[in-house]
Amino acid sequence: MGFRTRSWLAALALVASMPAWAQSTIKIGWLSSLTGPLSSAAIAENKGVEFAVEEINAAGGVLGHKLELVTRDTAGDPTKAVSFAQQLVFSEKVHFVIGPVNSGETLATVPIVARAGIPNLIIGTIDELVDAKKYPRAFRAINTNRQWIEAANKYAIEVLKKNKVAIIGDTSGYGTSSAKTATELLAKAGIKPVFSTLVDPNKTDLTDEMNKARAAGADVIMPWSAATGLLGRLINARGDMGWNVPIVGHPSVMAPAIRKLINKPQYWENTFAAGPVSTTFRADGKLPERTQALVDKLRPRLGGGEIDYLFWWVALGYDTVKIVEHMVKTAGGTDPAAIQKAFETTRELKGAYATYSWTPEDRNGFPDLDITVNVANTLKDGSFKAAPR
Amino acid sequence: MIVLVSGLAAGALFAATALAYNVMFSTSKVLSVTTGHIAMLGGVFGAYVITGLGLSPWLGLLAAILVGGLFGYLTDVIAIRRVVSRSDEHLWLLSTLALATIVQQGVGLWWGTEPRPFPRLIPQDFSAGLADQKYWLPIIATGLLAIGLELFYRRTLYGKLFVAMSEDTFAARARGIETDRIRALSYVIAGVIGAVAGFAAGQLTFAFFALGLTLTLNGFIALAVGGLGSNVGALVGGAALGLLNAFSANAIGGEYQNTVSVGLLMAVLLLKPEGLFGARNVRPV
Repeated sequence: MGFRTRSWLAALALVASMPAWAQSTIKIGWLSSLTGPLSSAAIAENKGVEFAVEEINAAGGVLGHKLELVTRDTAGDPTKAVSFAQQLVFSEKVHFVIGPVNSGETLATVPIVARAGIPNLIIGTIDELVDAKKYPRAFRAINTNRQWIEAANKYAIEVLKKNKVAIIGDTSGYGTSSAKTATELLAKAGIKPVFSTLVDPNKTDLTDEMNKARAAGADVIMPWSAATGLLGRLINARGDMGWNVPIVGHPSVMAPAIRKLINKPQYWENTFAAGPVSTTFRADGKLPERTQALVDKLRPRLGGGEIDYLFWWVALGYDTVKIVEHMVKTAGGTDPAAIQKAFETTRELKGAYATYSWTPEDRNGFPDLDITVNVANTLKDGSFKAAPR
Repeated sequence: MIVLVSGLAAGALFAATALAYNVMFSTSKVLSVTTGHIAMLGGVFGAYVITGLGLSPWLGLLAAILVGGLFGYLTDVIAIRRVVSRSDEHLWLLSTLALATIVQQGVGLWWGTEPRPFPRLIPQDFSAGLADQKYWLPIIATGLLAIGLELFYRRTLYGKLFVAMSEDTFAARARGIETDRIRALSYVIAGVIGAVAGFAAGQLTFAFFALGLTLTLNGFIALAVGGLGSNVGALVGGAALGLLNAFSANAIGGEYQNTVSVGLLMAVLLLKPEGLFGARNVRPV
């Protein structure tokens, strides 16, 4: 056997002895409702996810391995989300799953991903989606619904000094559960709503509900619904009635879609919602540095002009991939147990959307300090002004 | 009072959807799942022409009528004609569901999945309260559509052909009536009715791609309560459903609204299966 032949055989033996993952890409499954009734957030998040993957790959990947994004459009349908989750973890054999985008879909997929033992980055807000015992490898990057509600309640009670609260939720699972949580949290502060109701998200007119809230003596309206149509009608009913009661509630009351649905621009005044500190302009009119850096990097991809949708979704999408990068580096690979350990020991990981920490007991990475309250009609470049205090 | 007026306005839209169901049913014995989607198209295309293209409300209405009529015709060509001629089974349920889904998804991709505003059609301040056009436009439009339809049935030859086909399609064909053409015409007329109603109610519903299935269901409930085949029944059923929804939401909360609607349907089906104004089916033996 000549020297050249021996060299080839040695090289072959070396390659064969390398672990399988060393020769492959790091696969990220991305369950995203890019079409369907809940697509706005997903489309924005997808911009962040894709940009982060391209950026990391352009810099050589993670530990020398390129990221491979495997996107599946769930269309906001839990049955499709389940089917794609199974495909991603069992057929595609992804190393991470990000999503799905909506809590209703995530409720259906999180047990499947957990059963496969694959790390799952949760971007739905309802409490039930994470559980250190049931789903040990599911870690939440977004804030919880409770954090939104606590911030809004605190603002209404402590800053606006209102205590005659009217809660208006919608009849979806999310709306019902949010209205219930809001009522419970108000009760802890010693406040019983003067009026509380659930409304069909497609109800064509909310004048009746607003009349009742006014008759009950409400001095603040707190809507808990993600349905922009319903929220637009609520704001219009208040404006048409000439009732200048403050509205404090779900971030969807700040959505750009609302601006188009309201009858007059001034109807949107005196409206506030919980939102992340990362996309809130500081007193000096500037965004936090990490957010601004991402805005600057992404603006050319987003058309180069004013960003006319909620930038926090983009920042969250971007961060999910950066979190994957961090965990692979910390774990030294993609072994799920090592990734779980990496999550559990991560403290104050600085992202564009938030500064994340997870512990062996707590799967919620978003800190309370990163939530604030915004003025709804101040959307500029995807971000908002802070509500006056 | 606001409950009554807003309930009647929503009920008018359900009634118009039930009228469109009736027109299509009269010639084909099909209850098309696309019926609510016609109204959705009327609202979306009306808003597109007026707000998007900056044209007048009249041109918006014309566009809605054209799109509605065309969609009605295509429903017959794509989802009804071949299915009905080749099978006695109720496979039209699947074919019309498929077409409805395609149209909804297509509009979602083009128009977007968030509700978008429908423009003011007549100059009027938003503080008009109960006199606001968003309430009375759909009520008036549905009333006019019902009167027009009744005149069409009673005063025109084509109207009489519709009636003949609704009574016995085979006998009508045996007497030389081109039943395929009449059926296609009925789908065009149903398309126009639905689109005009969707246009008139646009300020209530917004221009929203997912409106179709809600209207398909509520229009069907209105139709079943009023009585299949009866235009008066469609109006009464629509108004009853709209009012019941509004008063139940007012009295016991929105979480029970759908239960009450479907409960109404169940109650009528149990007590008077042919509906309030429907003809009892008597099978000669």
